[in-house]
Amino acid sequence: MKKLSFIALFSFIAILIYSFAPADGGDRLLGVWEPSNGRARVKIEKIGSKYFGKIVWLKEPIDPVTKQPKTDKNNPDPSMQKTPLKGYRMLKDFVYDGNNEWSGGTIYDALNGSTYSCVIKMTNENTLNIRGYIGVSALGRTDIWKRVVVKK
Amino acid sequence: MIHPRISGLFLIGFITLSVQCFGQVSEQDSSEIIQEEEDYSIYDNVEFSAEGVKRFCSPKIEGLSPAKLISFGYDYQFGYQISADTLNTMQSSTAFNLAPQDAQLLRSHGMRMGFNIPVISQTNLVWQLGANYWEQRYDFKDPGSLQNPLLKSLSDHGLRTAGISTTVFKPLDEKNFILFQGSADYSGNYSLKSMMPLTYLKYSAALIYGKRPTELKQWGVGLARTYRVGEINYIPIVLFNWTDHANKWGTEILFPARAHVRRTINSRNMLFAGYELEGQSYRMWNSSSVDGYDMRNDELEIRRGEIRLRMVYEFAVKDFVWMSIQAGYRINYRFDMDRLIGGQENYRAFGLIDDTPPYVMLNRLTNPLYLNISINLVSP
Repeated sequence: MKKLSFIALFSFIAILIYSFAPADGGDRLLGVWEPSNGRARVKIEKIGSKYFGKIVWLKEPIDPVTKQPKTDKNNPDPSMQKTPLKGYRMLKDFVYDGNNEWSGGTIYDALNGSTYSCVIKMTNENTLNIRGYIGVSALGRTDIWKRVVVKK
Repeated sequence: MIHPRISGLFLIGFITLSVQCFGQVSEQDSSEIIQEEEDYSIYDNVEFSAEGVKRFCSPKIEGLSPAKLISFGYDYQFGYQISADTLNTMQSSTAFNLAPQDAQLLRSHGMRMGFNIPVISQTNLVWQLGANYWEQRYDFKDPGSLQNPLLKSLSDHGLRTAGISTTVFKPLDEKNFILFQGSADYSGNYSLKSMMPLTYLKYSAALIYGKRPTELKQWGVGLARTYRVGEINYIPIVLFNWTDHANKWGTEILFPARAHVRRTINSRNMLFAGYELEGQSYRMWNSSSVDGYDMRNDELEIRRGEIRLRMVYEFAVKDFVWMSIQAGYRINYRFDMDRLIGGQENYRAFGLIDDTPPYVMLNRLTNPLYLNISINLVSP
C-alpha cells in the first residue's frame, strides 16, 4: 500500500510540475518581426504550446486595383481569396525544439499562394533566420527577420 | 480496495491531465482562427530593437515566374532541311574537297535536364549552383545516303552539352544589387565511351549592376561573355523585369539572350510570348569517317546559334511542381564550322575584326516548328 501511495504521489507531483512549469526559452520568439524586404510586420504569438505569426502591418495595405484592403487573392482555395491579409496567420504550428530553433511549422507566401515547410532559427534576440523549404531543407530560401518594437 | 486518499490523488491527477490534454485540442482549433480583433494601427509606428539594421532588396519582384530548381524536359524540332557545304580553306593534309550535300531531317530532338540548387540563400547573399545536360539527336530521312562528314557525324553521334553554373545575387541595399552568372559547358559530339579533354570547356559569364526601385520592377545593365549565337562574343546586356499593378501583365527580359511578355492568368498559370537565343560551340570529337577523312584531325567546332520565337504556358500541376509547354518557330542563325586548333577561339566581334580566319564550312538550315515540354520543381 505504501508503495502505491508513493507512486501516486510521485505521479501527481510530476503532473503538477508539467502543468504549471514556467514558460521555457521558446517564448523569446514572441513579439513583432519585420522580414528583410520591409514590406510586412508579423506578430508571433503562442497558442497552447505552439507558435503562430500573423500579419499586423503591410507597407502597401491597399490593393491598387480594387482600392480595398489587400486580401489573400492568390490563395488556391477560392473560399480564402477574400480573407484580409492583415490579420492573416502566415506562420503556423511551430514548436520550440531547444537550441534557439522552432520547427514543425509552415510559412505561407501570399504572393503566390504557396505554403512551405519552415524552420525558425534565432541567431540573437533580435534576429531570426526563417527558412522556407520544399521537402528537404536544401531546397529552400532563408530570409532574415528583425525584431521591431512599438514606439511609445 | 484502494485507499480513499490515494483515489483522491489519482482523481486530481486525472483532472489535471485532462485539462492539459483539452488545452492541446483547443490550441489545434485555435490555429484555424484567421483573424482576431486587434488595433493594427499601433504597428504603424515601430522601430528596430537593435541598432544598425540594414534592409536588402530581394532577387525577385512580384509576379515573376517561379525559378526552376529541378527540370526534366524534352525538345522536339519538326522536319527541316540541312545544306552542308564543302570544307573550305582546310590546311590539314587529310582534308580534301568533299561534295556539298542537302539532306532532309525527319526531326531533331533530345532530353534536357537542369538542376539549380541554392547553396546560400540569405537576405544579404544568394548563391546557387547548377548543372545541366542537353542533347540533340538528328534523325535523317535517308541516313544511308549521307556522304558529307558533318551530316554523317550528326546522324551517328548527335550533339550534347553538359555544364555547371553558378549564380550570385548580392544586394547592396534596399534598391541596388549585383548579379553574376558563370558557367562552364562541355559541348560536342562526345559520348560516355569517348569523352573529350576538359581543354574544350567553354566558359560564359555575365555581370549585371541593377536597381529594384519598386516591388514591381527591377532593371540592370551589364556585360556578358557568351556563346549564345554559337561563337564567342562579348556583349552588353540589359535586364528588365516588370509587373503591372494588377499583376496581369509583365516582362521578363535579359536582352539579348531572351525577352518575354508575360500574361498572368493567376499566380499558378502564366502565358509568355517572346524569344530566346540558344546556342553553343560543339567540338567534333567523335568523327564519322567518310572516304578516309576524319574530321577530328582538323579540330572542328560547330557554331550553333538559333532564335526561338515562342509561346510558353507554365502552370502549377500540384503545389511546387510546375509544367512548362512551349511551342514556336526555330530560326537558324548559324550552323557553321570553325577550325579551333587546341580549342583556341576565333573572336570575330560580329565581323568587326578583320583578320580572323573565315569559317571552314558554311551550312544552311531551314526553319521548323518546335515543341518543348518540361516538368519542374520550382523555388520558394
